[in-house]
Amino acid sequence: MGRRVLITGVSGYWGSELARRLERLPEIEYVAGLDVRPPAGDLRRTEFIRADIRNPLVSKLIPATEVDTVVHCDILLAPEPGKGRRQLHDINVIGSLQLLAACERADSVETIIVRGSAAIYGAEPSGPEFFREEMARHFPLRTRFQRDVGELESYFENYARRHVDVTAMMLRYQPSLSATLESPLTRYLRQPVVPVRMGFDPLLQFVHGDDAVAALEAAVRRPVQGAVNVAGPGSIALSRLLRLAGRIPVPVPGPLFGATLGAAAQLGFPRLPPEAVPWLRNGVTIDVTRLIEEVGFTPRTTLETVREFVTHLDGRSGRGPSDDVVTVAVA
Amino acid sequence: MADRGETQRERARRLRVAGDTDAPARERPRPDYMEPAIEIETPEPEAVEIEVAPAEPELEPGLEQEPELEPEPAPEPPRRRPRIPPPPPPRRRRRMRNPVGFAPALGGGIARGLDLPAALDAAAVLLPGPGRETAERIAGRLRGDYDQDEWGYDEELVKLVRPFFEFMYERWWRVDAVGVERVPAVGPTMIVANHAGVLPWDATMMNVAIVMHHPQPRQPRFMVLDWAFRLPWVSSFMRRVGGVVASPYNAIRLLDQGHLVMVFPEGAKGAGKPFSARYRLQRFGRGGFVEIALRTGASIVPVAVVGSEEIYPKLGESRLLARLLGAPYFPITPTFPALGALGAVPLPSKWRIEFCPPIDLSGYGPQAAEDRTVVFELSEQVRDTIQQALLDNLVKRGSAFI
Repeated sequence: MGRRVLITGVSGYWGSELARRLERLPEIEYVAGLDVRPPAGDLRRTEFIRADIRNPLVSKLIPATEVDTVVHCDILLAPEPGKGRRQLHDINVIGSLQLLAACERADSVETIIVRGSAAIYGAEPSGPEFFREEMARHFPLRTRFQRDVGELESYFENYARRHVDVTAMMLRYQPSLSATLESPLTRYLRQPVVPVRMGFDPLLQFVHGDDAVAALEAAVRRPVQGAVNVAGPGSIALSRLLRLAGRIPVPVPGPLFGATLGAAAQLGFPRLPPEAVPWLRNGVTIDVTRLIEEVGFTPRTTLETVREFVTHLDGRSGRGPSDDVVTVAVA
Repeated sequence: MADRGETQRERARRLRVAGDTDAPARERPRPDYMEPAIEIETPEPEAVEIEVAPAEPELEPGLEQEPELEPEPAPEPPRRRPRIPPPPPPRRRRRMRNPVGFAPALGGGIARGLDLPAALDAAAVLLPGPGRETAERIAGRLRGDYDQDEWGYDEELVKLVRPFFEFMYERWWRVDAVGVERVPAVGPTMIVANHAGVLPWDATMMNVAIVMHHPQPRQPRFMVLDWAFRLPWVSSFMRRVGGVVASPYNAIRLLDQGHLVMVFPEGAKGAGKPFSARYRLQRFGRGGFVEIALRTGASIVPVAVVGSEEIYPKLGESRLLARLLGAPYFPITPTFPALGALGAVPLPSKWRIEFCPPIDLSGYGPQAAEDRTVVFELSEQVRDTIQQALLDNLVKRGSAFI
């Protein structure tokens, strides 16, 4: 008997890409997708369930699908146009609570996979490099999104403790980067001039957009208990990233940095989430041994990811005409 | 022992396979039983590449081959000199190597819409040999064309700043280094040293001693108080020259990768102690460094640094200023802060560094890290070794400043 998988947030980028990949796997018998709006048309055998994950109704819908694996992709890592900060919190926290409540009712569920975030580690000057999974919460969770992620993780930990027969897997993602991906980060890197914090050169880490989805697929195929870091091995300094991208860094003195980002956002510069301020100062790197050895998936290195992103950045390096940037930011 | 060699070799291999991190080992003669060290660096005059030599009118034809030139949409000046120069038209050569024309060409390139690296590359052809290489290197760096390992360590930059530290080592402090060859050439190794002198000059001098005098030198990585990573410029510089945040996790990862790691168990207590307490070791924390060495199978090399205590004789400190700056301490020395930035120039004391014989911990096994008695015993043993070596070398050094 094949596996039956439910994907939440199937109309978002991550959910639909994952559904597309799972449809191709012969061992997956059934794919269901849950979202408030229908996914793009090219999904062939995914059954679309129109429901809001924040609605208690999902605890009636999910048991009916008789799925054995639930992949929770309906987690927003950054505010999107049309989805404000409040909604972000609602979707991330309340949505996850509803989902877990629904899974309690569904006896068929054996595996829950969550697309979480490495923001739980925090970007601190005293933080070590290459956090391993057991090193979460060494530092206080400072921003709202970090606290959301922390709350989310504790719900799943609690759930895992009460249901020892269920594999609860928390994927902790570093920011993704790829030519086709739209995010505040890629918009930031597409600007011809990029504000950076004066005197700081954080070590950053990215995961290739395709690898980020492939890691979800690998997790569905070989789920493991607990948290797993997802990132491209290695790291890259922000200064080197900007040089490779041919971007001109504009150093902003530390105390003014947050305010400058805010002011720039008023003038049409892409708005970065509040986590970006410490992130662009201290950086975060995580260790991906567990992903490679236990899940059996090796993503592209951070440097390869960056090099690929850079070659597709705008077809040329340096001061190219930046009119396409505007359309991208609006889109 | 053979067993241990095997694991070290295994580590070195793993690290080399890990690939993107370290610079490729350079071939050089070594004892046949040893694997190539992971980051052998030859202290050869590569750093000279920054020196811009005066314009030489003639170059020997043997110097023709340059590092590969980028086929940029180049401006008018032809990029390659004629390969077989039958009596070279001297006029033409002079026109090509025209350092005076460099700046206008650079400006022109930028005005034509090239970005800075491309313009620099294009204008570089006007410079004579060494200057041209430098300009091309700078263009390469501006393009991001250099290596940094996963810790942010930038070997090229390290070579660039090395002459300055070598000057401090040889001329300013006239360092005598004893027993450098005792530092194992491969495998996880922890250098444990006394810490003094407010700024981490002692770490840099040990670094120079190893790179200059070790038969198979490798670049040490050092643990830096996290406060330094809160400071602009300091943080990015530290990281590029091999510093990491002083965290046991970082130390374990570096040692697992087979690196040479410097730790200062006294921490800020050592660096910030008053002049009256000089050459008296402070408490060695909770012996965490021994735990790490036991867990990673690293050998410990105790090191005594004599001379660093006199470079900034700390007479007092200002709690208020320290709190305002968020610093662990704010030193008051005879020259600082009275002379401002000039007061940060260290006094030219005479230094002596002794590398003591390594303590091999492989007999204990990693589970000994849980045993507080063993950890405290070893910690105390290392501390005694360093304290004894400090007093010995203090006598051997003689006068503090001559």
